[in-house]
Amino acid sequence: MLHTLKPSRSLLWAAMVVAFAIAWGVLHAESEFEVGITLVAIVVVVLAARWLRVAPAVGASMNDHPRSLGWACILGVLLLTAAFYDDHFALLLLCTVLLYSVAGFGLNIQFGYCGILNFAGAAFFGIGSYTAAVLTTHTGTPHLLVLVVGGLVSALLGSMLILPVLRTRGHYAALVTIAFGILFKTFLEVNDTLGGPQGMRIPNMNILGWQLNEDIVIGDLDISFYANYAVLSLVLCVIAFILVRRLERSWIGVSMDMVRTDEIAASVFGVPIARMKIIAFTAGNFLVGVAGAVYGLLTSYVAPNNFTFSDSLILVSMVILGGIGNPWGILPAAAIILILPEKLQFIQEYRFLLYGILIIAILLFRPDGLLPRSIRNFFPGQSRT
Amino acid sequence: MEYHFPKLALGAAALALAMSLPTAVNAKDTVKIAFIGPLTGGSSAIGLGGRNSADLALKQRNANPQSKYTYELVALDDECKPNVGVQVATKAAADKSIIAGVTNYCSAVAISAVDVYHRFGLPVIVWGAVLPAITYGQKYKEVHRVNGTMINQNQVAAEFMAKQGYKKWAVIHDTTDYGKGHNQYFSESLKKHGGEILGTFGVMSDQQDFTAELTKIKELNPEVIFFGGLTPLGIRIRSQMDKLGITAQLQGTSGIKSDAYISGLGNELAEGSLAFLEGAPLEKLPHGKEFSDAYQKQGYAQPPDAYGPFAYAAMNLIMDSIEKAGPNRKKVMADLNQTHDADTVIGKVTFDDHGQNIVPLVSTYVAQDGKWVIWEDSEYATGKRKLKR
Amino acid sequence: MSMEVFSQYLVNGLMLGMIYAMVAVGFTLFFGVMDVIQFAHGDVLMLGAFTALVTFLGLDAIGITNPWLQILIMLVVSMLLIAVVGALVAKYLILPLKDAPPLNTLLLTLMLGLVLRELVRLFYPDGSNSKPFPRLLPDHELHLGAFSIRADSAILLVAGLVTIVALHYVITRTKLGLAIRAVAQDGETARVMGINFHWIVLLTFGLGSAMAAIGGIMNGLYYSEINFGVGLLLGIIGFSAAILGGLTNVYGAILGGFLFAALQTVGSVMLPLIGSGVPSSYKDVFAFAVVIMLLAWKPSGLIAERSSERV
Repeated sequence: MLHTLKPSRSLLWAAMVVAFAIAWGVLHAESEFEVGITLVAIVVVVLAARWLRVAPAVGASMNDHPRSLGWACILGVLLLTAAFYDDHFALLLLCTVLLYSVAGFGLNIQFGYCGILNFAGAAFFGIGSYTAAVLTTHTGTPHLLVLVVGGLVSALLGSMLILPVLRTRGHYAALVTIAFGILFKTFLEVNDTLGGPQGMRIPNMNILGWQLNEDIVIGDLDISFYANYAVLSLVLCVIAFILVRRLERSWIGVSMDMVRTDEIAASVFGVPIARMKIIAFTAGNFLVGVAGAVYGLLTSYVAPNNFTFSDSLILVSMVILGGIGNPWGILPAAAIILILPEKLQFIQEYRFLLYGILIIAILLFRPDGLLPRSIRNFFPGQSRT
Repeated sequence: MEYHFPKLALGAAALALAMSLPTAVNAKDTVKIAFIGPLTGGSSAIGLGGRNSADLALKQRNANPQSKYTYELVALDDECKPNVGVQVATKAAADKSIIAGVTNYCSAVAISAVDVYHRFGLPVIVWGAVLPAITYGQKYKEVHRVNGTMINQNQVAAEFMAKQGYKKWAVIHDTTDYGKGHNQYFSESLKKHGGEILGTFGVMSDQQDFTAELTKIKELNPEVIFFGGLTPLGIRIRSQMDKLGITAQLQGTSGIKSDAYISGLGNELAEGSLAFLEGAPLEKLPHGKEFSDAYQKQGYAQPPDAYGPFAYAAMNLIMDSIEKAGPNRKKVMADLNQTHDADTVIGKVTFDDHGQNIVPLVSTYVAQDGKWVIWEDSEYATGKRKLKR
Repeated sequence: MSMEVFSQYLVNGLMLGMIYAMVAVGFTLFFGVMDVIQFAHGDVLMLGAFTALVTFLGLDAIGITNPWLQILIMLVVSMLLIAVVGALVAKYLILPLKDAPPLNTLLLTLMLGLVLRELVRLFYPDGSNSKPFPRLLPDHELHLGAFSIRADSAILLVAGLVTIVALHYVITRTKLGLAIRAVAQDGETARVMGINFHWIVLLTFGLGSAMAAIGGIMNGLYYSEINFGVGLLLGIIGFSAAILGGLTNVYGAILGGFLFAALQTVGSVMLPLIGSGVPSSYKDVFAFAVVIMLLAWKPSGLIAERSSERV
């Protein structure tokens, strides 16, 4: 019976309920025992899906009904926020995953669509945070605008690199962004005006009078202030995601794919390579910058040591783990990379080592990542099962 | 590869399950107290010493049948980096089951972390950070400190060095708030005693190469190089001073008074370096011998190092408050704020209106034959050995 | 600036340049043979330094105390072990990805570098702290007129020079060198000519890694300390140097290494002159900024890479 399971909306919602349960379990688990049980549960679910051959049908359902999938995800995150309304740390993790996903979307545009390697992701993230710090401390800019400005500054500083990035290929391009990342961090540490190695404190965020850094007290309920940020991050994530998907489906997206696949052939077809690369690089940095701005406001603190080369490598790992070019993969990848070390204390120390080995293994054996990017669907609505 | 996956998954699941066996359940309620310090990195010797000392206090209290609660230590590593420190501070403070914290040796971390403690209402006692602004920079009721501040340290240091007859200094300090603080307070104190500072150099806290600064210092030819920073930098600077043939005396702060400094340089190079530390040495503390013996008996891998006794005292003060007021953050904080003449291993502790304890004594140490020795007990004081010029 | 101060800066610049050149030459060799950038090369250097340290501790324990003998044994052991590590990396990580997009190899080597750093930090006892490296070279001063230099710096400079000359000899005068150059020019044709491609790749990686080991020991002897993080910056600087010199040219790499060191030294001297409060740490910012600008100007390095692309 299960072999002939047809893709449908109800199957999709069923799958999402299971996913929600797992997410709740992971965020809720406190002691290592609970974490162990949750991990076992995940493994059981994955194995069951494989054994019952439910996976392809579920995948097809997701493909056919992207809008339902989107709503289900949004609903899921909101429910999670409600479930953990007074648990500071769980909400903080949720926000971090959402914000890093936004940054991941940005990198995805640069790398997954246009093939530009950006090893300074953490630096652009940091630019967003520092912009937020400076603007909120020294000017009266409304905080929503601060987010946008954070993204713009990030894109602007990224454009300093445009010329070398455009002119170089492959390894040389990698070197340009690596050098920039290190340059940025060193510059911040050495320069005292932005706080030097001590970093800067960021004042509380408020949007139109609503203070985001205060707990919301409704009668007896004391809702953690992180819930504010969770909603904000969710909104940001949804907007970014829609942007990325629209971009992918647009003429620009197709052109970017051409540039990535084969530059010479693309130029033969008249694709303006430089323009595509500039759009990709700038748009990507904008998203990363906005995410960085929100993150700075969330933690009320920014310091140069947050933005080292290793952090940039983590962002890149996230994009690769999720599947290059597939924005859907970035969310679970971010969750794995960010939440797991927090929950499993014993791997906290070893997490960089484990990430490195994980990515090496992926590159050697399964370079497509968790959710490989499917072949471009020119006729939406028809999935290949 | 697909067919290996189920086996791998089962293996992983079994492993995960095996590693997460439930912990024993106690009859008394468990109360969690956080310890934050540099457990890895250049100052890890001091951090681990502090953690072990806090752990000792905890174990002793748990072994006491009269204590109302069972205590559990949640040790977190701040790596002596401000951003990591803020992250672990958030982790500890956001966790409602952690009632209080014994926090921070690195001043650069502490000064940023106090905001976090205040935001979440976690009462903490600082056990090793000496930057004055940590308690005096704001009026957070959550923050207390058992050790002294660098104001005192630098006053004593300036007086001592002036008495030794030194007149010319060059200052190297790291660019974190810690180093900058030392620079500020030492310069002020030195002016009062008539010393002259020929040049001031700020360096990064992870800088490898000091040839640029030291070459210039060689030109300036000071008698003393004052170094405001931590052990790893101290080791590099001293070693490169030797390489460049600079014969000035090295004067450090509590930041280099650790065993790691001497073991990193070797006895010869470390010989004659000066450091200052608040509080009396362990042997001369009121309950120092008992602490020392109990510490030895537990068999920790690292010695308590410079600030172990302070961490021990802080942990005991917190546990006393919890016994009195119950495991409630607000009540513990109120009780700690009332601390007056509390008897601890480092002497009597009183928190003033900023939560600061006044430690009257600052000891001068000199590295002699591979050990830090109190100045008065050293051969330098008697004149048998001479400091450099 | 007095002669003494000038000579100090000169020696420092030359030393740095020598170490960077060692790393840069490795990059060039690897790229030539496999068209791959081994980003973990700097960390291999760090591994070489640690291997030497462990060897030293072992020698000390069994009672060999003659410093020259110690250095010799440390060199031999470290070079051999690290050469093997390099060959293993080639065999299991680089060669299997020969036909994959070059991006994958780049990422793989970056991650490998991360793994090596973390392995040392976590598993070497007290790994996250700097470790003192034994001072084995004589440290008296040598005076040549107004110019003075310490004996250990002089010895290191000479040793570096000897290593580079030896490498030059191997590459240009031996059969192995001929084979390496053949494979670098055109792998397929080399195979047709009867050269064992696989073995040459392994040997090249081994050779480059052995040079890194020497660089690591030199680094340790010069600073009298090593820590797990030196590899990252050295690797990036070495890579920049190799690129400055053009990735296919060994002499370009050496030139690039000294050029980068010159940039740093000049930066550290001149920047404080611009403004009194400008710390010398700006020198890295300065050097990297120049590298980025140079790449924008000459995207294939100063000595341009002659490459063709299959369309």
